[in-house]
Amino acid sequence: MAKYTPPVQSKLGQIIDVIVLLALSIGSLYIPLIYGLSGSAKVTTVVENPTWESLGQNEAMVKQWNALGFTDPAAAHDLITTRFDYSFSWLNLAFMAVVLIGYFFMLIKLSDKEYREVISEKFER
Amino acid sequence: MMDFWDYLEYAAWAGSAIFGLLIVADWIKTDTTYSEEMLTSSREGELEAMTEQHKL
Amino acid sequence: MADTSEKVGLLRVLGPAHVWALGVGIVLVGEYMGWNFGVGKGGAYAALIACWFAGILYTCVAMIDSEVTSTVAAAGGQYTQANHIVGALMAFNVGLYLVFAYTMLEAANAWTVGFLVQTVGGLAGHEGTLNDDPFIVLSIMFLAWLNYRGVLATLTFNLVITAFAFVAIILLFLMTAPFTAPDLMQHAELMSGQAALPYGWLGILAAMHFGLWYYLGIEGTTQAAEEVRSPARSLPFGTLAGIMTLVIAATLTWFVCVGLMPWEYLGTAGTPLFDAARLSGSSFLVWLLGIGTLFATLASANGCINDASRAWFSMGRDRYLPSWFGAVHPKYRTPYRAIIFLVPIALLFALKLPLDQIITFSILSGLLGYTFMPLNMIMFRRKWPLDTIKRGYVHPFHPIPAILLLALCAVTYFAVFLGYGTQLVAMVGFYVVASLWFHFWRYRFVNRGAQFTMPWPKPKGY
Repeated sequence: MAKYTPPVQSKLGQIIDVIVLLALSIGSLYIPLIYGLSGSAKVTTVVENPTWESLGQNEAMVKQWNALGFTDPAAAHDLITTRFDYSFSWLNLAFMAVVLIGYFFMLIKLSDKEYREVISEKFER
Repeated sequence: MMDFWDYLEYAAWAGSAIFGLLIVADWIKTDTTYSEEMLTSSREGELEAMTEQHKL
Repeated sequence: MADTSEKVGLLRVLGPAHVWALGVGIVLVGEYMGWNFGVGKGGAYAALIACWFAGILYTCVAMIDSEVTSTVAAAGGQYTQANHIVGALMAFNVGLYLVFAYTMLEAANAWTVGFLVQTVGGLAGHEGTLNDDPFIVLSIMFLAWLNYRGVLATLTFNLVITAFAFVAIILLFLMTAPFTAPDLMQHAELMSGQAALPYGWLGILAAMHFGLWYYLGIEGTTQAAEEVRSPARSLPFGTLAGIMTLVIAATLTWFVCVGLMPWEYLGTAGTPLFDAARLSGSSFLVWLLGIGTLFATLASANGCINDASRAWFSMGRDRYLPSWFGAVHPKYRTPYRAIIFLVPIALLFALKLPLDQIITFSILSGLLGYTFMPLNMIMFRRKWPLDTIKRGYVHPFHPIPAILLLALCAVTYFAVFLGYGTQLVAMVGFYVVASLWFHFWRYRFVNRGAQFTMPWPKPKGY
């Protein structure tokens, strides 16, 4: 197989490539944040006039809350009553699985194509 | 009323600026002193021969 | 190589202790912050189970990595491994995983430094809230400068501060444990009733998400491969010693923290070990763990700059990225342009994002990398069976660790999916687009045969 000689990239081309990559990465990390899609779903169950008992805290827990600076149950209310929402749809899970498996499948397929070129150039000269 | 922590904030900004300037100054000096071929001459797997001949 | 005097490369100056310091140094901060979000996702017991399962996952990672890396010893670590074993596109993706995982971790560390200074300022009686921005910027700038100036000083600094942070955890345990302070810990009471498993069994799965945080980054030891004096010996030794250190530190950390704090508080705390020290009532411990937190975050950020820049540099050197990044500083022998380039990116995230999301970005990139490892291992043994090339270390029970690792990765993907599924899909979407860009555009600038630099025979089946 003929040896492949890559073109030399101009300075401008190098800069454009860096900008493309940066825009891609920062964009994909920020877009979910901007649209509020990231982070986790949480629900807070409000307890009116909270006491340590109504928040389900026993004596030892109350002692440690106090030591941490939460002397008023109302101050600890949000921390205690906010829970993750783990309800999910199987459809979404299946979608995620397909995306992930498809991604890795694509990686291995395309990589193998490139790898064969590398090996044939390296070992069959 | 400025207290110790306010001064610490300014000191931290100043420190950041100094380290930033040190890096940038050396970067410019290096890039203008040496040729691009020499700076990017490192190659994977050629290290063994290199380290044999360098002097600490 | 006709004229070697005109060439510059990285320096082989590090020993096994530096490898340990690089690996543990990056990770130990996970004990000082971040792991406790797992308590928030599933409760105290769930966090412990996640801690041990993640320990198994990382033992597999360390074993697999040790074998491959003691054979493929080049800066870039898993990136170079992928290049030699799977192919160019995989290598490009792995390189990006590394850079993202470490840069986000670096941002999380700088964030924590700012938060710690803010907390201490508040405790010391500063009025109003201290602005944490200058401290975030200072820590990143200082460490970038240190990294710029040379690897030996950087990692020797890491060795000292990592050892300090590790000893601080041991001392905290010894001084609060039931045999020295019988009434301090309240495990039974704090973990009774609803606090035992607040989310049931699903919570244990969910906690795996942050269970990784106890160990994330240990695989970074491989980045030092071009700077270690005898990689075939030092890398496996330093990595495996590192994982043992971390399992011990993680278990002690869990034990102390859940014995002192209600899980609802612990699950959202910014600096849990420092809080534990405050609750112990000993001002010596408060100082010790305060400094320990600071050192752990600095050590980690330091190691992250080191690793992310090595990966970025290697990609530049191979033309996967603009070749401009493949430069080595003639005097300090560091990949200085890669170090400089990553500074503003780390700043952008540290200053703008909440901690749990920065951590999730880092964990996701790490997780994609761990999924690559078992695939890599299986292909490595298949293309070069044991009798074809000499390996510095051969890991036992192949292919069980690889399969176990793959299974644990699947569990962790599900854990991330619970709550952070959109982020996961968005991130994979990015890698898909970046991959297409690489395959159809960027790869034309890459030399074909020259990417394969190991003196190995031709792989089987090609």
